[in-house]
Amino acid sequence: MPRFLIVAYGNPLRSDDGVAWRAAEALAAKYSEPDVEIVTVHQLGPEIADSISRAECVIFIDAATRAAAAGEVQIKEMTASAFSEPPGFCHALSPSHVLTLAAHLYRAQPRAFSVTVAGENFDHGESLSAPVRAALPELIARIDDLLAEAGLDDRR
Amino acid sequence: MKQGNTIVIDPVTRIEGHSKITLHLNDEGRVEDARFHVTQFRGFEKLCEGRPFYEMPSLMARICGICPVSHLIASAKACDSLLAVRIPPTADKLRRIFGLAQVTQSHALSLFHLSSPDLLLGMDADPAKSNIFGVAEKHPELALDGIRLRQFGQKIIERLGGKRIHPAWIVPGGVSEPLTQANRDAILETIPDALAIAERTLEWFKSTMERFREEISTFGNFPTMFMGIVKKDNGLTFYDGKLRIIDASGHVVADDLDPTNYSEYIGEKVEPWSYLKSTYYKPKGFPEGVYRVGPLARLNVADRCGTPRADQELAEFHELQRTAVLSSFHYHHARLIEILYCIERLEQLLNDPEILSKHVRAVARPNALEGVGACEAPRGTLFHHYKIDEQGLIRWVNLVIATGHNNLAMNRSVLQVAKHFVQGKRLNPGMLNRVEAVIRCYDPCLSCSTHALGQMDLQVQLISADGEVLDELTRG
Repeated sequence: MPRFLIVAYGNPLRSDDGVAWRAAEALAAKYSEPDVEIVTVHQLGPEIADSISRAECVIFIDAATRAAAAGEVQIKEMTASAFSEPPGFCHALSPSHVLTLAAHLYRAQPRAFSVTVAGENFDHGESLSAPVRAALPELIARIDDLLAEAGLDDRR
Repeated sequence: MKQGNTIVIDPVTRIEGHSKITLHLNDEGRVEDARFHVTQFRGFEKLCEGRPFYEMPSLMARICGICPVSHLIASAKACDSLLAVRIPPTADKLRRIFGLAQVTQSHALSLFHLSSPDLLLGMDADPAKSNIFGVAEKHPELALDGIRLRQFGQKIIERLGGKRIHPAWIVPGGVSEPLTQANRDAILETIPDALAIAERTLEWFKSTMERFREEISTFGNFPTMFMGIVKKDNGLTFYDGKLRIIDASGHVVADDLDPTNYSEYIGEKVEPWSYLKSTYYKPKGFPEGVYRVGPLARLNVADRCGTPRADQELAEFHELQRTAVLSSFHYHHARLIEILYCIERLEQLLNDPEILSKHVRAVARPNALEGVGACEAPRGTLFHHYKIDEQGLIRWVNLVIATGHNNLAMNRSVLQVAKHFVQGKRLNPGMLNRVEAVIRCYDPCLSCSTHALGQMDLQVQLISADGEVLDELTRG
């Protein structure tokens, strides 16, 4: 059973929104099951809660739209949201929403982090903007650090 | 929001796509007209012109993130027709498996994630709680079943197609890879759990129907025709067959129609207030030619399912009414019976002795300049129609989508619900939710039907006879 779950989400046909998919490709070359499960999805649905329930640590990777500078990598520790904070729509949920579902339905509360890269261009296309492309190595390195800090190196 | 004597619901929530509803009031403040406006546009039919025909299945799968497999199947069948090939029998069965898995996951999404809040928490529930989170809080076992059943379908698609969304495994002439024994066995292992979920959800649903007598009598409960593809023996199918149309009394209006000749009997009408076209049965004209498609229609036109448990449930379903089952509320019930059928049929197909055959693709060059592919998508009958030039480049495309077939009926349903539940010049959440809920019965996919990128919002407007917006409620 994988101890670490990486959920890379976004639309790879909308330029920088696909940065998480690029990161997932790079991470898949370094990590594999049974230690690490890497999932790529267009958006977070309730089904992700099931995968979360089997993990000790979850890392969500996404492109951010409101950060100050394109290419800036930010890490935030996530917690489950309260039931009083409903999602806008149930096709696409936030990391805290799927963590809430995992906590409530599966009694699972893994450590969780959201790792975002500020995007610049979200128009149609499969290329990353220059600042986001340049940020990929830092993004991977920061995720490496998170995995090590969470104990992955102990088993490798 | 209220503007004059019109109520506007904008955007409509818990559906696949972007839309709004306007309710028009007369001088006495009673609802006299209602319109379901689809406000998104994408235009797939135009953007594929000039592309090689063999790209079409992959391009068409991008129309929708919920039912890409149906577009793959209809598109590949249109391309088979361009190649003028008969695909290998195993490829035919594998495509059916793919389609059944998708119907299961799509129906699970509709019922568990989108409509179960109405059914479990009630039509008058607080809108802030009326979502999958509210269900998870109050009925966690049902929320878990919904997740597991949707995963069941998604994992089959992933095992066969390599990914859950937009798989490109179905190709002109068949499928790109055979099914491995390991994948076959792994899928078969998950069948009993999926069947158990389908059985207990169906029992739960039937036990709740008594609570919704008022909704059953007013949610799209009117005479229309019903259309669906059936097998030669009039059995339920999602992949291939003949088109059958029945009237509200249950009498056959047309049978043995060749789906590839759809344009001879199905017309498409454009209304200035919506990007969603309305289809109608040409011999009856517009709008008298209104018909419904999808789960309710399929079970109305089918004489049998062809699997043991689904056949028992179908017989019970047909007993709901001596005529065709008319209320659109029963789309939910029909959806659950179809889930049961899909799981049973999946098991049959996976145990077929030919299913692991390596011969899964016929190869040919184009042998025809025009091709039509049709299948039953989760929401109803789907047509893909292509014309190519001598170089195999697409010159013309027409897509007729399930939600378009239901457009006239959805508009009538909104009017019926609004007339019954909307009183006076003010809106309350219970009224609004019922107007939305009747739309959810049809599980419309507006991304598919306008070929547009989906969002899930709702707006309702209440408009006076002189055009003033009296009230408006917005969600999303």
